[in-house]
Formats: sequence, C-alpha cells, structure tokens
Amino acid sequence: MYSSLLHTEQQLLTALAKGERAATSQIYQQHHNTISSWIIKNGGAAADGADIFQEAMVVLYEKAQNEDFRLICKIGTYLFAVSKHLWYKKVQKQQKQPGNLPDKAGIDEEIDWTYEDDINAHKERETHYEQLNVALDQLGEPCRSLLKAFYHQDKSMQEIATEFGYTNTDNAKTQKYKCLARLRKIFYNAQAK
Amino acid sequence: MSTDNKIWELAEAYVSGTLAEAELISLQNNVNTDPTFASQFQECVNLLQSLNGSGNQKRFRSTLQEIQVEHTEANKPAKQVTRTISLRAYYWRTGAVAAGIALLTFFCTYWTINPKKSASQYNVLRGEIENIKRSQNQLIQNIKAQKAPSTVPVAQVKYTGTGFALTNKGYLVTNYHVVDGADSVYIQNHNGDYYKASVAAFDENTDIAILKVEDEDFTFGKGDVPYTFVGAKAEIGEHVFTLGWPNGEIVYNEGYISARNGFEGDSLQYSLVLPAHPGQSGAPILDANGNILAIVTARGNQNDGNTYAVSSNALLQLLHSLNKELNIHLPKANKLKNLTAEQRIAKLEYYTCSVKVYKK
Repeated sequence: MYSSLLHTEQQLLTALAKGERAATSQIYQQHHNTISSWIIKNGGAAADGADIFQEAMVVLYEKAQNEDFRLICKIGTYLFAVSKHLWYKKVQKQQKQPGNLPDKAGIDEEIDWTYEDDINAHKERETHYEQLNVALDQLGEPCRSLLKAFYHQDKSMQEIATEFGYTNTDNAKTQKYKCLARLRKIFYNAQAK
Repeated sequence: MSTDNKIWELAEAYVSGTLAEAELISLQNNVNTDPTFASQFQECVNLLQSLNGSGNQKRFRSTLQEIQVEHTEANKPAKQVTRTISLRAYYWRTGAVAAGIALLTFFCTYWTINPKKSASQYNVLRGEIENIKRSQNQLIQNIKAQKAPSTVPVAQVKYTGTGFALTNKGYLVTNYHVVDGADSVYIQNHNGDYYKASVAAFDENTDIAILKVEDEDFTFGKGDVPYTFVGAKAEIGEHVFTLGWPNGEIVYNEGYISARNGFEGDSLQYSLVLPAHPGQSGAPILDANGNILAIVTARGNQNDGNTYAVSSNALLQLLHSLNKELNIHLPKANKLKNLTAEQRIAKLEYYTCSVKVYKK
C-alpha cells in the first residue's frame, strides 16, 4: 500500500493537483484512518469521518491548484488541521448538545486555526460552483447536456459532435459557444440580483 | 454572432494558455483600450475558469469516492462502520413508515384491548418475581386442546412480536409477554408463510419464551443458524443492531449499549439506545460481528429510544435448565462475521420471523 512512498510530498501534491488517482489514493490511505477515527472519537459518526476527510482532501486539492502553492507543513498535518476545523464548524452548526462537543483539550489552536482562510475560500468556491450549477440547470437542452459533457465529463469535442449529432467538430464548437453565451447571461444576471 | 464566437475562442485559448505571444500582446492592447471589451472578456474568462474548476473538482470528488469505496473494501473493520451508516440511510424511510404504522396499530390494538396491561406492563413483570414458572408442557397442552386450524388462521391477531431461530429445525425465541395467555401462536416467516407454533418453555421473570414450530418439516433457512449466542456481558458503548418485524415487514435499526444493567438495575438486561417499536419485542440484538447479545423486550416510557433487552445469558440459563429431551443444540459457528452489513441482514432475515398471537 505504501510502496510508492518514494515520492516526496511536493511531488505528491503536484500529482494530486492534476487529480492523478495513484497520488490521491496514496494520500487517502496514509491519512484517512487517523483523521476519521479522531472525528469518531469527538462525537462524529463514521459517515462524518468519511465526509469531513473527503472535504479536507478537496480543500487540499483546490489549494494545490495554485502553482505557487508550497505547503509549510506536512500533508498529514494540513489535512488534520483542516478536518478538525471543518468538524468544529459542523458541530457548531448542528448545535449538538454540550456532551457531544469535541474535546477542546486535544486542540492546538495555533496550528488548527491557521488555515481558516483556506476553508473560507473553499466555502466561497463551493457556493460559486453551486450557483454555476444552478445556472447550468436552467439552460435548455441541448446546451445543458453539451456543456456538462465538455466540462464535467471531460469529453472531447469530437466525442460530443458524434454524441449530439453534429456533422463536424466546428459545428459542435459553434454550438458550444452559443451555449456559453447563454450561460453567461443567466449566470451573471443571477449574480447581479 | 461570429464576433461573439471570437471572444469565446480567445477566452478559451487564454485560459488554457495556448495564446501565442503576439496574440497575447494584441489582446492586452484591446483590453487596455476598450473597457467594454475588457469587462466582457473578463466575464468570459471567469466563467470558463469556473466551469473548468468545477468540472475538475467534480471529477476529483468522484475519484475520491471510488478510492473511499476501495479503501473500505480493503479495510474490514472500517468497512463495517461505513456500511452500517449507508444502510441506515437506506432503511430510514421504510423504518420510519413502518414504525409509524406500527405505532398506530399499537395504539389501536394493544392499548385499547388491554389498557391495564400495557400501562403497567413492567410493573406486572417485576411484581411477580415469586411466581417464576418454568413450565414446558402446560401451555402446549392448552394449545393442543384448542385444535386450532393449521392453515392460515382466520381469527383476529391480537399481538405481534418478533422471534428468531435457535435451531434451524424450528425452535425459536421470543418474549414471554408476546405469547402470554395466547390461544394460539403462529409465526410468519420471510416468505409470508404461516406456521403454527407452540410454547416449548418460558421464563416469566426474564421474559423469555421458547417456541417450537409444529410442522416437523419446517426449517428457517438452508443451513444451520448463522449466529452464535454470547452470554458474557458486552461493554457499554458497543454498537449493536436489530432486525424486527413491527409491521409484517422486516425493519433494521441500530444503536448502542448505554448501560450494563436494564430496567431498575436488572443485571440480566441491558439498557440500549436504539429505536424500537411495538412488534419488535423478541427481536435479536447483535453486535458488529453478528453475535446475539440480547433480546429486545421493552422500551422506556418516554419515546426517546431507550430500550431494554434481555441478555443472551438469561436465555442460556433458561436453556440450561430445560429437559434434555427438547434437543436444542445452539449453533456453534458464526457465519456472519466476514459478511458485509447488507449480506448479513439478507442472511439474518431467514432466521427471524413475525410472531402472531391469537386470543379471544
């Protein structure tokens, strides 16, 4: 499982940023159990452990998109800090009974709250993507499916031309630009409101 | 239209970084000199970046999801934990509906027909400690004298409970209060078939009754009973689950052991936090490895998930005191240990049944 530990953490991050499966899997394997068992110990269900850890992985993934990004700590430390933070927020939101609140004693405030900015940026991004998806869903067909095929499913214009019955990729492209123009209208009108 | 397309083409090339240097410079000039174009171009670029970003993130999330599934597959103990949760979500609707209906039925039948008993059921049970009866024959004879029809009974069902197999050949266990004073007892198995059963033994004090399906050819499932009985006290906090038949349909619930002793400190019981509903009396309580720890018997007065269950130890004691001629050999091998939660439930379903009690 840990055979590919030869990678340095920075290499791992670069591969993670590209969404490479092997690197993602390695990071997952290394840190999942520690973090999810911490969450379970602090009043979470197993599903919470999995959810929070996945969310922390996404935060790291987004953070790694920035080419200048250099972690000042180990990946594990980062993931743990972000997970703890996400878990507190979730518990606060749910306003669980005091008995279920995580044990504050085990927290290093210095480290664990350092990444608040990352988490806030993540929240904003999620809201933004959410709005974008709402706008996408308001598009009629074939635009909705076409844009989803290109951006979400990562299909090539060639595949899309075949699937949507365009005679060539240029026609498909023209259609895609029309769809983008419509999406832009819907999205920025909704933003302006 | 073509100008429209051009701006997108340009924005696309800009975002993907494929613009040649000369094109970049001319773009920069346009942006500097034409503020309308600049803001339009900026919007296009933002939109494309958002689309790319959200698409990438979506794919990353689905990769993560796949990895998680693989991880839990490869990691048995972790698997049980995550699997149970997903199941819970799956059964939640069914469970809630069944519970609601069961509750309604409970109010309609149990309380209206027998209000005194249900209101003070626990007191009755606790109050008759001196009258411990361990009878093996009395009730069998009573029931035989009734000569109830062996086909699907026509009389009105008065109570229902849950039972689960002790042996594949037709011994099962349920609560004594389920079959107390019954004119006749039928079980309904997972296929919905009715079989007449008789009370083979009971212990009123611990609220356990052992039934025997009268049909000699009856078996619960294909093989031996797949679970084992654990008499030793389980620890507080242990996660447990139960399968019961509150309303003619099997319902899954999960919870944990909240105290070592049960109602009023009864050491032959556990206190659980686990949603239980009328009709689930007699349902098995299993641990994460598929061992029977206890039998659901009652719930607290507040409908807050507080449930009491008789420990397997009480059942083992009763079995021990019985006549050897009954020939009850408990299963020795646990075949549930290495199954997923879903497989486990599918298997368990065969060895549980609804217990229907007919009374005048």
